Amino acid sequence: MSLKSEHTKELHDLALQNSRIRRTKSVIAYAVLGLFVFASVGPIIYIISPAFRESKSLFSYPPQWLPNSFYLGNFKFLLSETNYIRWGINTFIFATGVTVIALIIDTLAGYAFARMEFPGKKIIFGLVLATLMVPTAALLAPTYLLVRNLDDWTFGLIGLDTYGGLIIPMTVSPLGVFMMRQFIETLPKGLFEAARIDGASEWRIFTRIVLPLMKPAVVVLGIFVFMMQWANFLWPLVITTKDETRVLTVGIATLQGQFVTNWGVIAAATLMTLAPITLVFLFFQRWFVQASMAGALKQ
Amino acid sequence: MAEVIIRKLTKSFGDNTVVKSVSLKVEDGEFLVLLGPSGCGKSTILRLIAGLEDVTSGEILINGEIVNFVSPVKRNAAFVFQNYALYPHMTVRKNVAFPLETARLPKDEINKAIDEAARILELQQLLDRLPSQLSGGQRQRVALARAIVRKPVVFLMDEPLSNLDAQLRQQTRIELMELHQRLGVTTIYVTHDQIEAMTMGKRIAILKDGELQQVDTPSETYDKPANTFVARFMGAPPMNLIQGRIEAGVRQFTFNGDGILVTLNSSQMGLTDEVLSLQLNAAVCLGVRPEHVRISTDLSVEGVSGKVKFLEPTGADLFVTVSIGIQNVVVRCPPKTPMQIGSTVTIAFDMTHTHIFGADGWNLRRSN
Repeated sequence: MSLKSEHTKELHDLALQNSRIRRTKSVIAYAVLGLFVFASVGPIIYIISPAFRESKSLFSYPPQWLPNSFYLGNFKFLLSETNYIRWGINTFIFATGVTVIALIIDTLAGYAFARMEFPGKKIIFGLVLATLMVPTAALLAPTYLLVRNLDDWTFGLIGLDTYGGLIIPMTVSPLGVFMMRQFIETLPKGLFEAARIDGASEWRIFTRIVLPLMKPAVVVLGIFVFMMQWANFLWPLVITTKDETRVLTVGIATLQGQFVTNWGVIAAATLMTLAPITLVFLFFQRWFVQASMAGALKQ
Repeated sequence: MAEVIIRKLTKSFGDNTVVKSVSLKVEDGEFLVLLGPSGCGKSTILRLIAGLEDVTSGEILINGEIVNFVSPVKRNAAFVFQNYALYPHMTVRKNVAFPLETARLPKDEINKAIDEAARILELQQLLDRLPSQLSGGQRQRVALARAIVRKPVVFLMDEPLSNLDAQLRQQTRIELMELHQRLGVTTIYVTHDQIEAMTMGKRIAILKDGELQQVDTPSETYDKPANTFVARFMGAPPMNLIQGRIEAGVRQFTFNGDGILVTLNSSQMGLTDEVLSLQLNAAVCLGVRPEHVRISTDLSVEGVSGKVKFLEPTGADLFVTVSIGIQNVVVRCPPKTPMQIGSTVTIAFDMTHTHIFGADGWNLRRSN
């Protein structure tokens, strides 16, 4: 065999070896990713089955992953025998209220911290960031007391078992302020200066220049806040005592009895609660990509 | 249109003083260029005039009125930014309309002003495009349109051509000058490009480390540089600066620069013997531009002999670097001049265009 063909064979073997290594690597990568997908999506898939089955058949052996019937009794029970619709409306008001107010506060504060000069700016921003270090649980009791005492001061607008009490304490988010400030800082300084030379006031610069340019970031923050508040459990649990003011998360928790729990109903309630938020996420998904790209692209 | 005066203008950022007591008068309708290397404070002066920075000390007057504490818009100065600073989410029309809408002008007036600006800058076809759909030159024209639409009394331009390629830069330079001729608005133009400064400015103000070095017409700054900095900064290749001392000769003073002996004819140099005598034995610089040095391969010609070190043909000229002892002198020759590296040549200086810079670096002609 000539030297040339021997060399070709060697190259061929090397290529084969490389492709095997690549294949092994991708199998491992997929296995790890698969594990993560299973851990995150598994529980959601798991609740689909019991939601469409009767409670008595839930604990059959072997466990049934796919329902063998299309039983809608759990949903019917939920809508007719519990306050589910009320909880849903409350959750929507709560999550939307927090999102709208938080976005207003975060974008305005972010603008001030990013582009305005005022005494103590660095210290105040440091304090805002410092509040990130305080665990939510530590704030629970003082916030509860504050809201309870505010009842008289605000003529019942902010208090226990009120929308005000539910919404207002959750609108303060240092992370949102930080995110908005960071985004505004990425906008070219020249734009603000050009607008100032053109005679625009700070309010006009904010509304006509900054807000339109930071739309992707605002949408992303809005979705984050909405999703977080839709799934918020702790604060609504603390601040609401009546069924009329409860939100979905707390309402579903009350479905669990001391001795008997109707898991089929709980699964149906969980499924119905997840549906709108999943739709919201899917609808706005492209904004996430835009927002994450925003800083990377030069004007 | 307006006259702009700055008096003892100083700007500090913390401990760092970037503009040091600069005084300058820009005549009504004048095109003044602020020229200097990066970090010399030229853009800061422009920003101070615009009101984008607060003055540390000194005064800025526009049309006789002190504007130190007047808001940018009330100064009625338009600013053209280096990176254009167009609003990326607005069309060209919206960009140009923005200052007028902010001033709450009636719609038909705004449309009229946009149409006029678009006609002057040939933007009619681009009015509905976004800035991202425009070329660099087109964006620059939109930035100019946004500036002129307000009918400002002063144009402040911060290196507006630096983002354009060489060809477009030259073309836009001509357009800017035409615009200035047409509108006659007082213009202060910042650049670090001396060609831009020489070709555009009626006068040039040269800055170094926040201090004004010279304010003069382009030809004066080139022919009679105030100091060694201006001498080196203006012109490519820069002026030859030869270190040496002034010595007393039999009848005249001589310059001795490590092997370069030059008899100084004070009257030819626009100096007096008194001025030269003050610099006797002091370390001075003799400055002469490459085009004012004669070169000859004939060694019998009177002058200083040296060796050809480099040849730099640029097409229009041939630059010959002659080494004399430790000194190098660049000479400009016609392009086809026969020269060889290593050959011995004689050089002589045209004394009417030769300068002596004193120990402090300033041209002795100025103290004359």
